[in-house]
Amino acid sequence: MARVTLDGVTKRYDDVTAVEAMNLDIRDGEFVTLVGPSGCGKSTTMETIAGLTKPTEGTVNIGERDVTRLPPKDRGISMVFQNIALFPHMDVYDNISFGLRLREFADAEIDRRVEEAAEIVQMSGMLDRMPDEMSGGQRQRVAIARAIVRQPEVFLMDEPLANLDAKLRVSMRTELQRLHKELDTTIIYVTHNQAEAMTMSDRIAVLNRGQLQQHAAPLVCYNEPTNKFVAGFIGSPSMNFTGGELTGASFSSEYVDVAFDTAGLDTQVGDTVDFGVRPEDVYPVETGGEAADPTDPIDATVDVMEPMGDEIFVYLVLSDEIGVGMGRGASGDDRLLMSVSPDSTVGEGDEIRVRIDRSKAHLFDAAGEAITHGLVTTATPDSAADASTETGEEAE
Amino acid sequence: MTDDRDSNGRQTDSNERQTESEATDQTSGTTDRTSETTDCTSETTDRAFRTDGMGAGTDAELKRGVLQRWIDSTISDPQKAYRAMFYVATLFFVVTTMFPFYWMLVVAVTEGSSYALVPSLTAVDVGSFREVFVRIEFARYMFNSLFLATVTTVLVLVLASLAGYVFGRLEFPGRRPLMLLILAISYFPPAAFFLPLFQLFTGNVFPWVELYNTPGALILPFSSLFMPLSIFILTTFYGQIPDGLEDAARVEGTTRLGALFRVIVPLSAPGVATAGVLTFIAVYNEFFFSFLMTDGGASDWAPIVGGLIQLQRAGQFEVTYSVMAAGSIIAVLPVTLLVVIAQEKIVSGLTSGALKE
Repeated sequence: MARVTLDGVTKRYDDVTAVEAMNLDIRDGEFVTLVGPSGCGKSTTMETIAGLTKPTEGTVNIGERDVTRLPPKDRGISMVFQNIALFPHMDVYDNISFGLRLREFADAEIDRRVEEAAEIVQMSGMLDRMPDEMSGGQRQRVAIARAIVRQPEVFLMDEPLANLDAKLRVSMRTELQRLHKELDTTIIYVTHNQAEAMTMSDRIAVLNRGQLQQHAAPLVCYNEPTNKFVAGFIGSPSMNFTGGELTGASFSSEYVDVAFDTAGLDTQVGDTVDFGVRPEDVYPVETGGEAADPTDPIDATVDVMEPMGDEIFVYLVLSDEIGVGMGRGASGDDRLLMSVSPDSTVGEGDEIRVRIDRSKAHLFDAAGEAITHGLVTTATPDSAADASTETGEEAE
Repeated sequence: MTDDRDSNGRQTDSNERQTESEATDQTSGTTDRTSETTDCTSETTDRAFRTDGMGAGTDAELKRGVLQRWIDSTISDPQKAYRAMFYVATLFFVVTTMFPFYWMLVVAVTEGSSYALVPSLTAVDVGSFREVFVRIEFARYMFNSLFLATVTTVLVLVLASLAGYVFGRLEFPGRRPLMLLILAISYFPPAAFFLPLFQLFTGNVFPWVELYNTPGALILPFSSLFMPLSIFILTTFYGQIPDGLEDAARVEGTTRLGALFRVIVPLSAPGVATAGVLTFIAVYNEFFFSFLMTDGGASDWAPIVGGLIQLQRAGQFEVTYSVMAAGSIIAVLPVTLLVVIAQEKIVSGLTSGALKE
């Protein structure tokens, strides 16, 4: 149980900068997830905290101690690895007790703690198994038991569920959350799977290209992303973006025009901006009543439909170039992804009209930084104030 | 073989009755004899011939000798020929490698020089094996050899483990040239080192370095000569251990060195065993330094080579070949034993898949 702070941590390998000037403050007892695409520096950040690599610059503090120069064993941490990394030549008992034996605990104490840890991960009675006699899920549980048995101040988990099959991953996810409640220890978790990040963490730290993008509660990252990267990374399927410019009191692009009140926003007429909206905030005109603040209808053609069971993803084309943008998905300026309920009557090839919920739309400036979340019309001046105060709680 | 017969047999059933009557008429006397003297193979061919409805074929078959029939059967079953070739080749190598040992045994148990390829049991005299220990301090020589081999092996394994860890698991500039340098040194002729080392160990360079006639004079050159091979073996093995395991050990509470000896070395057991056995055998069998770095006395830490040379003078007025041979046989035993035991360990280690993760 300890606070972990990274202060200007930078890690360079020859000419590659893996992590750049990372400042991260993880509170005591918090479950924080480092999330980002492959190669974003999340594993390097983790290794820096663990002490497996030393940062080129910056300091790492665990508790109130500066541990930057300490070896991993003296940092009061334990770690669960992506490839599980149980010692293949030791049985479960020896694996779990490895750290305790190194620290020369009394035999009785080791026995007691191993029993306890095995019970927490529901592996008691299997202490004499060898790692190669167990399933992937069991091995992962042993690895977790090995990590908790030393009662560390901080848990590090480096994609612990990545090598498990999909079903097991979901059940292990809930077990980890239960574990966090039971142990009440600071947990730092690395994943590239944003479903894990969203469901498990108190706060998530979104990383890209070695830089921290946003460090905030999952729903804050979802609803108020600080920049275009976070907006696109968090949420599945990804947010729609359309490039355009600001004209007076509206956003205007080739295919989409959205009128809103620019008062209070730090923008100029003629600014190049990106307009972003999530698929669930796009509605067909017929059911547009669900939207809090619908825009004027937009003409669109249904390109492809993906029924998911609980909802249908509808790929819309706003221009008349159906099929031309093969492989572009919903990424082009003339593409829009909409999710509708499964009882919708929309069919492929239909020409339909859709509305966007203005209060759920986002604007990003040319550099990708968020300008505002939730656009307002002049008709409701009250909510304009709300929108501006809500933005970027823990934005860093 | 049986398969062939079955398929033939089934085909035959219908035809057999027709052809048999013809065939039996012509060959009634001889068929009986053949079935007694030949094995099932010839029976098959017999039947096969009859299936073709060539009753006359049976006559030709019977004129063939044993060798011809065997050759004929290998045509229908080529594996048989390969097996035969394998046995012949194996027999050849077994005889050529084992015969010297057998001859050594013959020499050891023969009194005087009345050697016979197969000595008669009454002439066998195993007294020479006792003589080996009576005439000289043979046990001490054995101890010296085993001691030198063991100490060298331990030293080599420890140092080569460190080197193997560095070369196998760390990235640093100059790794490849350094590896090549070690490889190059291992190809130097040992004799090239002898004179400078002799000067050094006899105190002619630094008066306080007097290693001649001590274990050090042998262990030091042995270690450096046999180290490169072990380094290469261990580098390969240590390099294959997943990084995650070492990281896990370090997070759990070991230093890098601790991770090496607690996790990496145990997981590389087959490699360590191989390197150890090879080093042990190489040292035990070494002649050049063993012969020259001591005066050859048991108390001078001379290894078994010195002992065997002493045995040459075991009899006062004759060369006692039988005692020398007996000594040689005893000297070979530890290594034979080691290889038999270690071989099993190495093979079992390699096949258990201990490294799968």
